[in-house]
Amino acid sequence: MARLELKQVRKTFGGASSADGVSLTVEPGEIVAVFGPSGGGKTVLLRMIAGMFEPDEGDILVGGRSIVGAAPERRGVGMAFQNFALFPHMSARDNIASGLRAKTAKEAATRIDAISRLLKIEHVLGHLPRELSNGQKQRTALARALIGNPEVLLLDDPLRNVDAKLRYEMRLELPNLLRRGAASVLYVTQDYREAMAIADRIAVLMDGHVEQIAAPEEIYSRPASVAVARLFGDPSINLAEVTPCNEHGALVAAVAGAKVRLGANGGTATDRPCWLGVRPEDLALSRTASEDAIPARILAITPMHEKSVLLLRLADGTEWFVALPPDAPHGAADDAVFVRFLPEAALLFDRATGLRVGLPHHRQAA
Amino acid sequence: MDHGSLAGRIFRGVALALILVFFMFPIVWILLMSFQTNEQILRIPPRILFEPTLANYEALISGQLRTAAGNLEISFMHNLWNSFVLSSLAVVLALVLGVPAAYAFARYKFKLGETIAFTLLSFRFAPPLLVLLPLSLYYQELGLNDTYVGIVWVYQLIALPLILWIVRGYFEDISPDIEHAYRLAGHSWREAFTHIAVPLAGPGIAAAALLSFIFCWNNFVFALILASADKQPVTVGALAFVTASGIQYGQIAAAIVLSVMPTLLLALYAQRYLVEGLSLGAVKG
Amino acid sequence: MSMLQLLQTNVLTGRTAKPRGRILPYVLSLPALLVCVAILVPFVTAAVYSLQRYRLNLPYLRGFVGLDNYIDFLSDPAFWNTLRISLVYTALTVALELLLGLAIALLLRRPTRFHNAVSIILLLPLMTAPAIAALMWKLMTNPGFGILSYLVGLFGITDFKWASDPSTALFTVVLVDIWVYTPFIMILLLAGLRSLPRQPFEAAALDGVPASFVFFRITLPMLAPYIITASLFRLLDSIQQFDIIYAMTQGGPGDRLMVFQVQSYLEFFQYTNVGRSAALLMILWLITNILSNIFIKHWLRLRARAHRQA
Repeated sequence: MARLELKQVRKTFGGASSADGVSLTVEPGEIVAVFGPSGGGKTVLLRMIAGMFEPDEGDILVGGRSIVGAAPERRGVGMAFQNFALFPHMSARDNIASGLRAKTAKEAATRIDAISRLLKIEHVLGHLPRELSNGQKQRTALARALIGNPEVLLLDDPLRNVDAKLRYEMRLELPNLLRRGAASVLYVTQDYREAMAIADRIAVLMDGHVEQIAAPEEIYSRPASVAVARLFGDPSINLAEVTPCNEHGALVAAVAGAKVRLGANGGTATDRPCWLGVRPEDLALSRTASEDAIPARILAITPMHEKSVLLLRLADGTEWFVALPPDAPHGAADDAVFVRFLPEAALLFDRATGLRVGLPHHRQAA
Repeated sequence: MDHGSLAGRIFRGVALALILVFFMFPIVWILLMSFQTNEQILRIPPRILFEPTLANYEALISGQLRTAAGNLEISFMHNLWNSFVLSSLAVVLALVLGVPAAYAFARYKFKLGETIAFTLLSFRFAPPLLVLLPLSLYYQELGLNDTYVGIVWVYQLIALPLILWIVRGYFEDISPDIEHAYRLAGHSWREAFTHIAVPLAGPGIAAAALLSFIFCWNNFVFALILASADKQPVTVGALAFVTASGIQYGQIAAAIVLSVMPTLLLALYAQRYLVEGLSLGAVKG
Repeated sequence: MSMLQLLQTNVLTGRTAKPRGRILPYVLSLPALLVCVAILVPFVTAAVYSLQRYRLNLPYLRGFVGLDNYIDFLSDPAFWNTLRISLVYTALTVALELLLGLAIALLLRRPTRFHNAVSIILLLPLMTAPAIAALMWKLMTNPGFGILSYLVGLFGITDFKWASDPSTALFTVVLVDIWVYTPFIMILLLAGLRSLPRQPFEAAALDGVPASFVFFRITLPMLAPYIITASLFRLLDSIQQFDIIYAMTQGGPGDRLMVFQVQSYLEFFQYTNVGRSAALLMILWLITNILSNIFIKHWLRLRARAHRQA
């Protein structure tokens, strides 16, 4: 199997840049999720690898061999499309079989049976696409992409058009399924949870460039920029404008009248305008005031079974979310509370560049 | 609209009846005439009820017209055959030329493509004689005058813009992703074209072909200028019929019926696509 | 430009695409290009002829005369007659067919099974070859046995000569044109009417807006793109009408129906004056070219609309 490499790939459409120097490597057997806001260039990237259009600059290599300019059928690339792109005039079986070339009828039948059993579509193989449910269409499209054992597998938001239940099931099944062939998998999604559930690494694509590429845990706990931090997490990360200063060897910052302690590694942030970012689940509430606790008032409480989400208004008017375990006591709306967090949970981002300064240690990537 | 009130409904009913009579009467009347003898046709007042005769059709099909002046040989069946040959060959030629071009224009935006597409379209609206008269002189020099090849080449000009623009629309409506999916599955461009694009545009291609056949069949001026009696289609042949001396009126009517029957039947068969064809693909029915 | 448009327009093209990927569209359209060139040759030839003194019976007189053929038209009453008859014929047929076609489309607007059947039956005249249609009407207007001659006779109009009488010839061919081509306008407007959104009409019905207001302020403006396209289409065909007129009267009686194409046909084949015939056709082409440019603009708009709906 072969590694997929993108080297400084650039593509502009009518002056607008869709890929602005994208570099990315996917190892054989690895699943890399391409995640980012819509319009960030995810789909264009996949389509350049698939050969629907060619990059203006840069190179794309599969197993060390450049595929730029090669016909799509010669690239060793399989793809599952967001809109499935099934052949409407062929049965599900023929759709899947189209991915098998130069195989004896018997061998083809065996492989189609195997893959369709794996994807639980063996009972609808004789149906035309229009007779399939969305979930069955999606599985047929996946089977078609998988059956040829491509070296590179591209998935363009394959779960977008299926219902919530199936999406959840597929999130569990897909990693195993995709790893079977040991292909290099590039998986585009607009859902950060999907990216975290399926991928070995996540490439965050924003404005045509890779903002960060790392393992899901690392992206979550050590986002490279405030923009990345905001994309991951529900509710999203809490932010406050701070200018940290050094006090008796410790880094502290004023937030809504409280003096909170920040991690020791934020040293370079001293006296620099920053964003302070704290994940909602890293916050703790109490009824007792102290110098390092931020006074706040509960605005609303949303019980969400696996957690309770509280909306707070800090003393300076900033609104923050807190996520608490469902059984934790959290008070009621309009209660006055005090918010604390561990210094290690604090993320600091340079307000001018948006890039993270300092590195919290307590949640090292696994 | 006031389809509720009684007066409105009566008005609409009467109006529709008058319209149907105006548009259908000529067809019905000629059909009746074709089953009448000359004596029956010339009778005044004309009668709706008469004893029908197949003599007119028999004469046309056998090619032997018995007239007062004697026996007259006519080649009307040959005209019908010519119409069929010219129209079918023209449609086949236009399909071969037009379908790949329609695909290119639908899938690739390139300037030359647009220029060709619009040039062919604008020639659809140029006076046919402008091209035909010089062409007839060229044909005389090239020896193409009065040959099937020469006439078919001109006939396909009727079919080509229609096929190009209708089929192009059908290709445009196919998601390019479907073809990409097929190519990524390991198939060449040609396989994607023949196994995906053409079958999916199939209804459009068939409709465009049927309609172009009708338009070719109904053409008059091309053959009038380029074909002599031997290669003449029915439109020109039937007109020559009228001026031939001693032809019986019932036989003219029968010739008319035989001339229009194929296109009318085809039109009824393809009626779902007529709007699209008549508007060159701009209006869907 | 939306992402979708980008994806659809840039399919398989691009900077470093394999040579075949770049050449392919040209290869595919090459035959159609050859056809284009093949039409352009006689077209240019016609333009050249129009600048020549060129008579088939006097080939040794052939030579360039500049714009003489055109200038001669200015003082030639036959040319002005041709122009006038062509314009009158076009105006009459298109106006009457538009009114009648619109009326029928409105009558058949509700898509009941009966209305659909009627609309299909009404298409039959349009599917009849115009030359044959002319022949049918010739049989029906024959002074001896023609049913129409008999019928007008019942109303006391005897000796009605239809196309053979200069005073009624235009009326007769216009009638045949209406019979053949009204269904064209009808079917396009019917498709247009049925594609209009329902809400404005439902709102108007709820508000009790009078029918005439609905027709002039809602139906007509919304139908305008279809009306304009269909009329321009008919204008283009009608000003070039040949089949019906040639088959009915060959331009007669006298020069009563000498429209452009019939006149140039006779110039060519009867008077063998190629230069004059070509000049006449060039003038007609100029008119149709202007019209067809306008037409194509409107036609493209309708086409884009049809594809959005699909």
